[in-house]
Amino acid sequence: FRFKDSLAGGLRRADLVISHAGGGPSFCLETLEEGKPLIVVTNEKLMNNHQLELAKQLHRDGHVLYCNCRYGAATLQSMDLGGLKPYPPGQPEKWGGFLDKVVGFQ
Amino acid sequence: TGGHTTEILRLLSCLSESYSPRHYIFADSDKMSEAKIRSFEQKRAETFSNSQFTLDRIPRSREVRQSWTSSVVTTLYSLLYSLPLTYRLKPDLILCNGPGTCVPVCISALLLGLLGIKRALIVYVESICRVETLSLSGKILYYFSDYFIVQWPDLKEKYPKSVYLGRIV
Repeated sequence: FRFKDSLAGGLRRADLVISHAGGGPSFCLETLEEGKPLIVVTNEKLMNNHQLELAKQLHRDGHVLYCNCRYGAATLQSMDLGGLKPYPPGQPEKWGGFLDKVVGFQ
Repeated sequence: TGGHTTEILRLLSCLSESYSPRHYIFADSDKMSEAKIRSFEQKRAETFSNSQFTLDRIPRSREVRQSWTSSVVTTLYSLLYSLPLTYRLKPDLILCNGPGTCVPVCISALLLGLLGIKRALIVYVESICRVETLSLSGKILYYFSDYFIVQWPDLKEKYPKSVYLGRIV
C-alpha cells in the first residue's frame, strides 16, 4: 500500500513486524506499544545518523532486533524473539502535571 | 509533518480542556497532518463539549537536508506568513516539537514579546526519536524557549538547561 492513514489494524493482526528504521520512528513505538516483536532494518546509505539513534537505543534496551539490510535474511533465520523485553509505556501524566505548573493552571 | 504531528497529538491528549482554543500551525506541503488533527479533535469533542481549534498553514521553512544558506532564505519567507498569523492569534503558550515550521512561529512570538505586544510562553519538546543529538530546530530553540524538554537522559547531560521528565510520548 502507499500511505494508509493508520497502520493500526494491520499491526494488531501481525505476529512479527519488520520495519525500516528511518522516517517512521513513531511506528516503531506504536508497534512496541502493541506488544509486537519488532525487527528494525537500517540502510546506512540512505539514512542520517540521527535516524538510527532511536533504533540503536531500543536495541540497547533489548526491545527490538536490529540489523543492516544486507544481513536481513540471516537475522530472520537466527532471531531469538523470546529475548526481547517488553517496552514500558511512556508517562505522559508527568508532562501534563509539569505543563500545568509552568502555565499556572495548578 | 507526519511523525511530529503524531507526537504532538499525544502530548495534547494529556492536557486538560483549559488548554483551549488550540491553534494548529503546519506546513503547506504537509498532506497528512490535517487529517490526523481533525481526527484527534473529533474524538476530543466527544469528551469535552466546548472544544475549539483552528488550523493554519504556512510555507515550509526547510526541506530535509536543505542547505544552510537556502534554509535561512526559506525561513525568512515563512516568517512573512508566521508573523501576521502569530500577531492575529496572540497565543499565551506555544507548544512545539521540532519540525522546521516551529522556528518561524517561535521567532514571531519572540518578536511580539520584544515589541511588548504579547508575551508567549515557548515550550519545546524534543522528539522521542532524538536520543543523542538534537534536531536543528532543537539546537536553535534550546536558547530561545522558556522550557526545553528532552526525553532521554543523554540529552539532559549534554544540554543541562533542558528538562527531563522521562519518556512522555
